[in-house]
Amino acid sequence: MSSLKLKGVRKAFGTLEVIKGVDLDINAREFVVFVGPSGCGKSTLLRMIAGLESITSGDIEIGGKRVNDADPSKRGIAMVFQSYALYPHMTVRDNMGFALRFAGKPKDEIARQVGEAARILELEPLLDRLPRELSGGQRQRVAIGRAIVRHPEVFLFDEPLSNLDAELRVHMRIELARLHRELKTTMIYVTHDQVEAMTLADKIVVLRGGEVAQVGSPLQLYDDPDNHFVAGFIGSPRMNFLEAEVLDAGNGSFTAQLVNHPGVRLTKTLTGKLPAKGDRITIGVRPEHFGEPGQGIADLSLTVDVAEHLGSTTFIYANTATPEQLIVEREERHAGESDTLVVSIPAETSLVFDSAGKRLR
Amino acid sequence: MNFALIRRAGIYLFLSVAAFLSVFPFYWMAIGATNKSIDITTGQMTPGNNLVANFQSLAAQVDLVRIFGNSFLIAIISTILTLAVSSIAGYSFEMFRSRVRERIFQLLLLLLSIPFAALMVPLFVMISRASLTNTFMAVILPTIASIFIIFYFRQATKAFPGELRDAARVDGLKEWQIFLFVYLPTMRSTYAAATIIVFMNAWNNYLWPLIVLQTPDNKTITLVISALTAAYAPDFGVILLATVLATLPTLVIFFVLQRQFVQGMLGAVK
Repeated sequence: MSSLKLKGVRKAFGTLEVIKGVDLDINAREFVVFVGPSGCGKSTLLRMIAGLESITSGDIEIGGKRVNDADPSKRGIAMVFQSYALYPHMTVRDNMGFALRFAGKPKDEIARQVGEAARILELEPLLDRLPRELSGGQRQRVAIGRAIVRHPEVFLFDEPLSNLDAELRVHMRIELARLHRELKTTMIYVTHDQVEAMTLADKIVVLRGGEVAQVGSPLQLYDDPDNHFVAGFIGSPRMNFLEAEVLDAGNGSFTAQLVNHPGVRLTKTLTGKLPAKGDRITIGVRPEHFGEPGQGIADLSLTVDVAEHLGSTTFIYANTATPEQLIVEREERHAGESDTLVVSIPAETSLVFDSAGKRLR
Repeated sequence: MNFALIRRAGIYLFLSVAAFLSVFPFYWMAIGATNKSIDITTGQMTPGNNLVANFQSLAAQVDLVRIFGNSFLIAIISTILTLAVSSIAGYSFEMFRSRVRERIFQLLLLLLSIPFAALMVPLFVMISRASLTNTFMAVILPTIASIFIIFYFRQATKAFPGELRDAARVDGLKEWQIFLFVYLPTMRSTYAAATIIVFMNAWNNYLWPLIVLQTPDNKTITLVISALTAAYAPDFGVILLATVLATLPTLVIFFVLQRQFVQGMLGAVK
């Protein structure tokens, strides 16, 4: 149950810098998820914390101790890998007790700890089986069990559910949340699946191109993203973005015209810095935030392309006069192909981003 | 007539001829071991009743226990050392990043193209200067670093999951422990296939032992068979019996490790 600190952590392979100075504070018992698109450096960062990858500069502290040069086994971490990485020639029991055996723990102590982890994960009937005799979900549980027996200060998970089918993934997600509650340990979890991130995390770290794009609680990132990237990455279906050009700005508000919807103008109030006249900005609207016509700051006329009726809700993929496609969430079930749909851009929940992608509040 | 049927018949015919060509020498060798020399030269193809006499004659000419002992000792030590050295080399070539890694490996592969005949004389000079002529080490030492087996292990190691090594590092294993306790048991089938190849090569090795083993006490079975053929009136029954006996160990090893051999050749890591 240790805190973890990253201070200006960088990683370069030759001239290619993959982690570009990450500063991060993770509190004890926190469930932190690193999320980002492929190649953003999230797995590399996790491997650097684990000690499997050296760091080029900066410091990593676990429980207040600098561990830059410490061996992976001496950092107080345990790691669960994407491919499970179970030793194929050992039974479940031996797999789980392997690290303890090498740490010189007595046999009865190993048996006790393995038994305890097996009980928590309901693995008792499988203890004498080989990994190849287990299903994907069971293997994943063994991999977690192997981590638990080490009683680590920090658990590291590297996309642990990505090899499982959709149903099992949901099941294991719930198991992990339960495990975190029971073990009360710091957990760092890497995934590219933002649903996993939203459901599991106390704190999400969104990474992009080796840098932290934003850190915050799941709902904070959803409701109040700092930039265009986070706004687009968090949320499924993704946020709609409408290009606009500022016509006028002053007195705490600006007026802009939508680039792909000629004639549609909107005026929005901001508390912070205003864009300048002539600036290109982006208006972000989540699918569920589009309002009824006349209730927002501007109306949009759309043509329904595809309507996905999920029962509880409907996602409408709608075309505008331009190639732009917008996603609208509606409770109604009647939308059909080629129908005309008029929606409004909400005053409160629509977000504004400048041309560099930075949020204007 | 159905084309598929003709094609199938053609395949069966081809495979039957290939099977016959593969098996016939073994059949002829086994039958020959039970016949008199004169029967063999006149082309008898059925089992005879001269097996015991052939064996007695062979045992009278050759100290079988000693000669087989020599062959086994050389083949077993050679196999163990070759597998140890070459698998560590193959593992290291694949696992450890280095700027010169590929250059060194390419150089090794280049050395593979030098025929043994070209190496024989310098090798003999080296062995002679080390005062190792007429010792088993003279036969064993040059075989240990086998480039082919290093190459084979490097290729097989590509299938060894990197996450397994990472997991072992997190579990607190040192690099040599990862090799011994994780890599080696995981790559069992690769080792089995390599064992067959290396043991067979060591067992059948003829030219180099012929050069460095000089006294009859130190000879291996391949040298003895060759010596039997050199007699003024060679006894083919005895020669074929010796050949059968010399073939048995490799056959036994192959059948014992057959399943792993096939897996190893396919590069399977389960």
